Amino acid sequence: MIAGGRRRRRKIHRFLGWGCAWLAAGLVLCCLADMVGTVLLRGLESFRWRMLWTPTSGSSGGLENALLGTLLLVAISVAIAAPLGILGGVYTAEFAGRRTARVIRFVAEILSGVPSIVIGYFAYLLLVQACGWGFSALAGGISLTVMMLPYILRSTEASLQQVPLTLREAAWGVGMTRFQTIRYVVVKPAMAGMATGVLLAVAIAMGETAPLLYTAGWSTMNPNLQLTHQPVGYLTYIVYKYIEMPFPDAHALAYSAALVLLMVVLLLNVAVRAVVGHASVLRFGRGRSPRSEDYRRAGGETWQIQRKRRRS
Amino acid sequence: MAAGIAASSPVVFLAGIVTIVVIQAIPSIRFSGWHFLTSLTWNIGNVYGGLEHEHGVTAASGASFGSRVFIVGTVASSVIALLMAVPVSLLTAVILAYRTRGVVRTILSTLVELLAGIPSVVIGLWGMTVLTPWISTQLGPLLSRAGGVIPYLRGPVGTGMGLLASGCVLAIMVVPIITATTRDLLLQVPTLYREGGVGLGMTDWEVVRHICFPCIREGFIGAVALGFGRAMGETMAVLMVSGNAVNLLPQNLYSPISTMAAFIADQLDSALTDASKMAVHALSELALLLMILTVATNLAARLLVSSGRWRQRRTGVDAP
Amino acid sequence: MKRSMRWICTAAGATGILALVAGCGATTAGHTSGAGASGIDHAADHTAASGGQTVTLTETGSSLLYPLFTDQWIPAYQSVNPGVHLEASSTGSGTGISQAVAGTVDIGASDAYMADQQVSQNPGMLNIPLAISAQQVMYNLPGVRGHIQLTGDVLANIYQGKIQYWDDPAIAAVNPGLHLPHLAITPVTRSDGSGDTFLFTQYLSDTNSSWKDGPGYGTSVNWPPVPSEVAANGNQGVVTTLAGTKGAIGYVGISWLDNAVAKGLGYAALQNKAGNFVLPTPANIQAAADATTGIPKDERVSLIDEPGQHSYPIINFEYAIVNQHQSGAKGTALKHFLEWAIDPQGGNAATYMTPVHFLPLPSKVEPLSRAQIEQIGG
Repeated sequence: MIAGGRRRRRKIHRFLGWGCAWLAAGLVLCCLADMVGTVLLRGLESFRWRMLWTPTSGSSGGLENALLGTLLLVAISVAIAAPLGILGGVYTAEFAGRRTARVIRFVAEILSGVPSIVIGYFAYLLLVQACGWGFSALAGGISLTVMMLPYILRSTEASLQQVPLTLREAAWGVGMTRFQTIRYVVVKPAMAGMATGVLLAVAIAMGETAPLLYTAGWSTMNPNLQLTHQPVGYLTYIVYKYIEMPFPDAHALAYSAALVLLMVVLLLNVAVRAVVGHASVLRFGRGRSPRSEDYRRAGGETWQIQRKRRRS
Repeated sequence: MAAGIAASSPVVFLAGIVTIVVIQAIPSIRFSGWHFLTSLTWNIGNVYGGLEHEHGVTAASGASFGSRVFIVGTVASSVIALLMAVPVSLLTAVILAYRTRGVVRTILSTLVELLAGIPSVVIGLWGMTVLTPWISTQLGPLLSRAGGVIPYLRGPVGTGMGLLASGCVLAIMVVPIITATTRDLLLQVPTLYREGGVGLGMTDWEVVRHICFPCIREGFIGAVALGFGRAMGETMAVLMVSGNAVNLLPQNLYSPISTMAAFIADQLDSALTDASKMAVHALSELALLLMILTVATNLAARLLVSSGRWRQRRTGVDAP
Repeated sequence: MKRSMRWICTAAGATGILALVAGCGATTAGHTSGAGASGIDHAADHTAASGGQTVTLTETGSSLLYPLFTDQWIPAYQSVNPGVHLEASSTGSGTGISQAVAGTVDIGASDAYMADQQVSQNPGMLNIPLAISAQQVMYNLPGVRGHIQLTGDVLANIYQGKIQYWDDPAIAAVNPGLHLPHLAITPVTRSDGSGDTFLFTQYLSDTNSSWKDGPGYGTSVNWPPVPSEVAANGNQGVVTTLAGTKGAIGYVGISWLDNAVAKGLGYAALQNKAGNFVLPTPANIQAAADATTGIPKDERVSLIDEPGQHSYPIINFEYAIVNQHQSGAKGTALKHFLEWAIDPQGGNAATYMTPVHFLPLPSKVEPLSRAQIEQIGG
């Protein structure tokens, strides 16, 4: 009798537990579906292809200036962050001593934890005001650089660490120097991870607003050659500002911008994932902070031992 | 050696940020002292009046800077976000790890990770146009009626912009972070342990509950702390749904609030109209405070995640 | 796996090219976009139109002036002087002032003049009135017809949390015969530094002593804590918030009047100095503008609560905050644009003013503005 009651209770617990779990998963998916659905629905309602080649004028018009501006800002930030991040990652993974590597990793982690608005605030005080660049593409690009840099560095480092030591040993064995080893042997298999890191960093940068509010300013003109003293528009600004305006035109523009943004960012994410499969480098999340699997990926013990062996 | 220089760039950037923010914050620290942490009032003073001198620094007359409202707003909205996100993420991770496999798992995991990829301003857009009207007309009145005994659930719902809405958008932003980490932690729990549980006659839920959860505890707490740090630093989505309250602590779950990050984004332009520049310095101090909070949380999270791994290893748990 | 690797390499290559292209300069932004060709065409148009150099004048600030700039002046000025491209954005008067002072924009639009402290710190800054504008108090009270009547005192009490419901005796007392619902009041303020806040709080300071001694006036003030109060960004944000919240009250610049009324909002008749309740009609605004006296040379003066039977209490100058030290083509362009803007046959013509409910500068003020514009130069 007692045993039967307990069994029933355990059954009920099991049922409840899994029920709640499925419910939770459903809730997450519903949220995602509702959000993407809302933006898709209202975005498609208001999106017109001509928006892609019409600049914004007043509270209506198109997205051309913002689209080009976003591309310009991302291009500037990639141009700075990718070389710095990749070289930095190579250094940390291949050359730096254990302590130096730890310091760099630690600093990159802190930097990725700095809230984006603080980065924007810093860039405003330093670049816009102190350097006197005004609202400009360069100031905006550099604040995005600060956001992307730790992410690229860490993903580069992580993908280099995945390359087995045996490969390097083989390369050294045939008389390659350290640089040659990296260049001809190590980088190639790590390329996938590094490219993924950069592309996902681009996706992050495209969706950022806070670091740009006080650095890039806003402009309804298409960006031009001038990198300083010329404010530049970007897509997230339209989403943020135009949804607050009480005009149907402005709302249409905001939803269209959100649609374009969402499509580009999601496609970038999906494409990268689809191509690379599930290379674990992907799972840095948004680059704000590394996850547990980063540590796991770093190889844990095995890797530490390998490093020790390499050092000695 | 270019690589070495490149590797030092994060150090340079971080040093730059810290230096600028600290230098800009010093006059405010001198002006406000500890008062900054305790006072409720944020008043840039009468910029159309005279200046006043205090502790050797100058501010607009009547100026007084206190950040308690924003600290409370930041922490409260992030805690509410975690209250919603933690159970949901944990359970979702269980489903992803143990109830799906193959293509389904890949698709579901990708979907959860895509949630992390949605720009915060788009989440804010959704919050503004879908979530706040829903809170204001449906959820708020319902909770307000149902939660008669719980003090913070009662009270006027207002516009729907406020603590609850901020908590919701933040929850949506941290769920993918915690879920992805937890799923990986769960997958690391050795099959042998779980089989042992089944061998003892446990139901599959009991295995999860009594074997898997304890195994991942430290790592999970670390993941939650990471989410907490992320939530506190989030700007745009919160700015769009928080109601931008000043000078007032939240009275109930629906009260308008401001978080530190959103307030900095919102107020920098006003602060710049202050001829004494004290308002800008005060914002710097707020930025400094926010940076200390988020960085400390992130470091604590990192410590927990790695100590969790160490413990696992010591007890002989190793990745499959 | 091999094939995917090739894909990655291609992707990496693409990124590299993107980075490279960016390094070469900003024009490339045109090339990288799918719609690149049309982007270049546009740029070409702008340059060709002036037969040489295009000058860009950037404006930011007042969301009250924004509709005038973006819907009226910019299209109009395009035909007057195609060589000058105007950029406007609605960010709030606080931003207008501070960005003009910082030199990040050419024209800072503001409903508020600069404070004495700021002027003494930045002696080169000019406050040039461009037009007369007004502000109305708007509310979302479905079912209430006509205009409710409000005094500055009642408004001050609402914004101090002393009056919390629409059927409060104090409101009923100034609205005899009007039935108001028992609905909680949601006061809406501006979160950005705003000239509208400046005007509204000046009106409250003039009419309520506890407001004067408490929050006072400014582009951003220390709002008394009211639990239900929300802050919105820009006039656009206030209108949107008001439209979405039953029982809400807020202050909105006159240029947003038509839009807000179309959204179902009502606007109040305010009590003026003479004790009459007046609406922001052109005649009443004109009456207040005519009553102004003693405008100083730098034109930094409040027009709130002017005397007169019909004077509407909240009117103001719309200022262009500009730095008088300008050089070259930009200085000339700026000067010409501002001269056009205050010209009764130019920007101050009724065709541009009426749609936004602005009034042209009074004839006694225009010479003062013109004299200030003359100071712009090297």
